[in-house]
Amino acid sequence: MSEIIHYSNLRKSVHGELLLNIDSLVINEQACVALSGRNGAGKSTLMRIIAGLETPDSVTVTLDDKTLSWRRACQKMRTHVIYLHQNPYLFDCSVTDNIAYGLRRKKLPLKDISRKVSDALDWAGIGHLQLRNARELSGGERQRVAFARARILSPRVLLLDEPMTNMDSEAREQTCRMIRRLREDGVSILLATHEYHTVAHLCDAHLSLQAGRLHPQPLEQDGEERKIIPYR
Amino acid sequence: MDSLSAATSESFRLLFSGDADLWVIIFTSFSVSIRAIMIAAPLAFIVAFLMAHLRYPGRRTMIAGFSAMQSIPAVVVGLTVYLVLSRSGPLGDLKLLFTHSAMITGQVLLAFPLLVAISHSTFQAADQRVWETAVTLGAKPYRAFFTLLHEIRFGLIAAFIAAFGRIIAEVGCSMMVGGNILGYTRNIPTAIALETSKGEFSQAIALGIVLLSMALFLNGLLAFFQGRGVMSS
Repeated sequence: MSEIIHYSNLRKSVHGELLLNIDSLVINEQACVALSGRNGAGKSTLMRIIAGLETPDSVTVTLDDKTLSWRRACQKMRTHVIYLHQNPYLFDCSVTDNIAYGLRRKKLPLKDISRKVSDALDWAGIGHLQLRNARELSGGERQRVAFARARILSPRVLLLDEPMTNMDSEAREQTCRMIRRLREDGVSILLATHEYHTVAHLCDAHLSLQAGRLHPQPLEQDGEERKIIPYR
Repeated sequence: MDSLSAATSESFRLLFSGDADLWVIIFTSFSVSIRAIMIAAPLAFIVAFLMAHLRYPGRRTMIAGFSAMQSIPAVVVGLTVYLVLSRSGPLGDLKLLFTHSAMITGQVLLAFPLLVAISHSTFQAADQRVWETAVTLGAKPYRAFFTLLHEIRFGLIAAFIAAFGRIIAEVGCSMMVGGNILGYTRNIPTAIALETSKGEFSQAIALGIVLLSMALFLNGLLAFFQGRGVMSS
């Protein structure tokens, strides 16, 4: 697996206390990594830094083997990385307009946008919802719209912040299916969770965030321990 | 009582017969206030957004200042603009006193703090995920700003209507800097004040009906745009 982004010496303080003190974090191509930790451990902050939504105190970012300034890295990351909130925000417009939002920012021809949106609706199985206002959807449907809206932009890395929280078993299963399909499409996924066992079967690496540091953890599946995949 | 009903009947006759003097007053009022709100609103929304999203020294003082300025009396604004634009004032050479420009300036100053204060509350209450979602989906900051405006549009429309309602109905500032010149700077509130002082109620009632209808129309419009008026989930 080749490396997409490498963050080194990442430090972030909040209210004068060091929250993140990470020597090295690598996001590889087509990897699905679980990021676990207790509530308040800094998982969301780390995700938001990776997405360029928060500025760390210090960091060195290497993207495709090129070291970039933080400002340049933020610009680049916005074309490669998409962050999905724990409870994804859908704009107050139709499902179609929500999914097309990113493509419109890229100023693609309307015909291409229309075709891609149609494909994305089919991919997420929400074709029947296309004219509905996104605010009227159930939690599971909203999640599917958010995944379709992210996938349509062909990101290299998708950051999922607690994607299964407050979901019933059926919605969880749907979300798992979409994560698997995204991996099949070649998207790297970093998945924050405080309930690792719920996503263990999806992941090929597990990092635990404790006291601001990342610790590789053994993988578990079906009650058995899998070998630790070397992960920096 | 008879004189009141006669004045009311006459006011409807004036309105529907297309009385030139009356309609010039109405046109002046709307022309000045619409231009004033169009100048004040975009600037106020940008200031309110920056106050809500940036952290800088003096921010809280600014917020408190704009809140306090909401209740500044129109005559005080009128007096200030008058002193600045009068012949001996710093901008006296521009010869703007008793013109539409002076009235617009006064109304912009009246509307601006109200627009900033109300829209700042709206921006402050906006979901942070709107901006972040827009940015993470590739929107440039200015596009993310417009997306945010769209998401909080009802709060901004309410600010817009409140500010427009204030400036189109204010008397003090328009009277002082406009001079209440018939056919030029006389607007609805100054005309109502003048006609009432003269005991000519028919035109005052006609203009009052216009103001009242406009207030009802604007609030109806707000209710329409708000749709079902339920909280979003």
